[in-house]
Amino acid sequence: MENIRLKKITAIWIIAVLLLFVAAITLGIIMRLNQADVMHLNPAKFYEDMTVHGLTMIGIWFVAGMAALNFIMERYVKTSYSANLIALIFTVIGVVMLWISAFVGQFHAGWTFLYPLPLRPLWDSWAIALFLFSIAVLGVGWLIWTISLMAALLRKYSISQVFAWQHLSNKNPEVETPPFVLISMISLIGVLTSLLAAVVLLILLFAEFYTHGSFTNDPLLMKNLTYYFGHTIANEMLYLGLAVIYELFAEISGRPKWKTTWYVTIAWNLTLFFVLGAFLHHMYMDFVQPESLQLIGQFASYLASLPSAAVTVFSIIVAVYRTKIKWSMPNLLFLIGTCGWIIGGVGALIDATISNNFVLHNTLWVPAHFHTYNAMGNVLFSLGFFCWFSTQFSAKEVVDRMRSLKIALLIIGGIGFLAAFYIAGADSIPRRYSNYPSELAAGKSYALLGAVSAMIYLIAIIMFFVNITKRCLKMLFTH
Amino acid sequence: MQHSLLVFFAILSVVITAVFIFVYQSSLSASEENQGMKNTLQKRGWFLLILVVVLAMFASITIPKSPYFVYAKDIPSKVIHVAAGQFYFMMSYNAIDPKNPSSDPSIEVPVNQVVEFRVTSLDVNHNFGIYDSNNVLIAQTQAMPGYVNRLRCKFTKPGDYNVFCLEFCGSGHQIMRSSFTVK
Repeated sequence: MENIRLKKITAIWIIAVLLLFVAAITLGIIMRLNQADVMHLNPAKFYEDMTVHGLTMIGIWFVAGMAALNFIMERYVKTSYSANLIALIFTVIGVVMLWISAFVGQFHAGWTFLYPLPLRPLWDSWAIALFLFSIAVLGVGWLIWTISLMAALLRKYSISQVFAWQHLSNKNPEVETPPFVLISMISLIGVLTSLLAAVVLLILLFAEFYTHGSFTNDPLLMKNLTYYFGHTIANEMLYLGLAVIYELFAEISGRPKWKTTWYVTIAWNLTLFFVLGAFLHHMYMDFVQPESLQLIGQFASYLASLPSAAVTVFSIIVAVYRTKIKWSMPNLLFLIGTCGWIIGGVGALIDATISNNFVLHNTLWVPAHFHTYNAMGNVLFSLGFFCWFSTQFSAKEVVDRMRSLKIALLIIGGIGFLAAFYIAGADSIPRRYSNYPSELAAGKSYALLGAVSAMIYLIAIIMFFVNITKRCLKMLFTH
Repeated sequence: MQHSLLVFFAILSVVITAVFIFVYQSSLSASEENQGMKNTLQKRGWFLLILVVVLAMFASITIPKSPYFVYAKDIPSKVIHVAAGQFYFMMSYNAIDPKNPSSDPSIEVPVNQVVEFRVTSLDVNHNFGIYDSNNVLIAQTQAMPGYVNRLRCKFTKPGDYNVFCLEFCGSGHQIMRSSFTVK
């Protein structure tokens, strides 16, 4: 009964994520077509789309990672169905509130809602309140879910076991910590800290909003809090996907399960700290920020790449190299996603170098790199999980007839759409411009290339959506 | 500089993709007897060491070029005060009073001399992004209310330079601009 409930709620998460993904990609294509001068939106409308596109994307791929994590975690510990359900209900309510605040209330402060822009009288006061409450509802739902999953792990594993410290001194310890448990805990701690930063941020915004400005905030502190929250949650959701890969890659490939070793333990324990300092690279162009913090930003960003590359990526390469593997859609998506994730990471490291950031910050290089490790990394990790999840309960073996076509469309669309961002970024085209001034008119051609390529990517996603949703719906209406 | 970074990025992307394709192909042609990779721990160690050395080299080369350190010891020959607002830039040779802001009609800065822009905002976060006459972004700093960011530059080419806002600041963000002349 418990497993059936978990299976069904996971199926609902998957359908909701894919539905919102198609909608959010469409908003993205509309933005690129507007920048290409093919569509002619009012700038405020463009920025409403941009705000909804960003927050929806961050939200859905975070919950996709969490839903996958929750489903697999049940193999090791008893998780709370109520927390999962509360998160689902709060997410649906939060997303509806967010969309109303933007599309009806015309709130358009961007997904980072950088203080003091959201509180300016540029849109109705009720829209500001609705937007802030939508973030609060999403935050509360996700906080409950995160704490509940951490508590589930800590009920079975002690603190030292959940961080796998016993693997440092003993090759075959009495209690083994599966890599999935270790990575889940590390990622959930990061998620928890980022959500707590969001809580503080929201309290400070509400305080200024409801005192009508008699209490005012410090913009530098608010910006640090914003990026601690925004960067960390975007980064940790990738790690939720990696936890799933550590668990499923070998299993789907018909290989022995991956085990925790001393270097996996060290790598992920260090990752916990490196990732938490990396958000500082968003502050490089604020010269009033102490220089020591700016340097920590560059070092933490560099250091965070080491465990990922030398342990996770290297392990995937070792697992595949000259090894007979049963290739199917999920493990192919995991492999391509890992490649996309690293390439996005290289783009990120280039931008996380202060002297490069001086000429790349807030150009299209920024969406270029984060769309690489999301659209061609994290999304593929979650799609891999969705494919695996939706087929594993079928009585007969599912044959994916259009596998090559779907993958080809994803790759061709993805490369074109990302190349348009990277080349435009290197050409100094700013991000978040509804229209380009005549001096930066080259941005229009790149936007058109981006829009057309994103349509190809969208076709692949719709094909995945139809197949996966069909199977998930069947699962929902059968026992 | 941006185009060199793009080429560097493109080369690395091709190499990474080639490694993945090669590894995938090796799996397709593998038989049951194949043992995969040998001495993985040793190879992993070398891989990590190479990464550490390469990143340490990058850090040591790039950090001294950070904008906080370049021209830090110079005395600027000219100071330009900048106050950003929705959706305009005010630039002046004199300090700008936030209660009664005003700007100079045109701004000229000397070529081949260090100049300092003192940048702040009168409302929300903006960005002061300087584009040369070829429309290449050459320098920037954020404009944050309540704070003054000091951006030091040395312009080596005379000409007209545009300024665009590079921090999303509302529905007029894309029209927010200014310019100055380097002589």
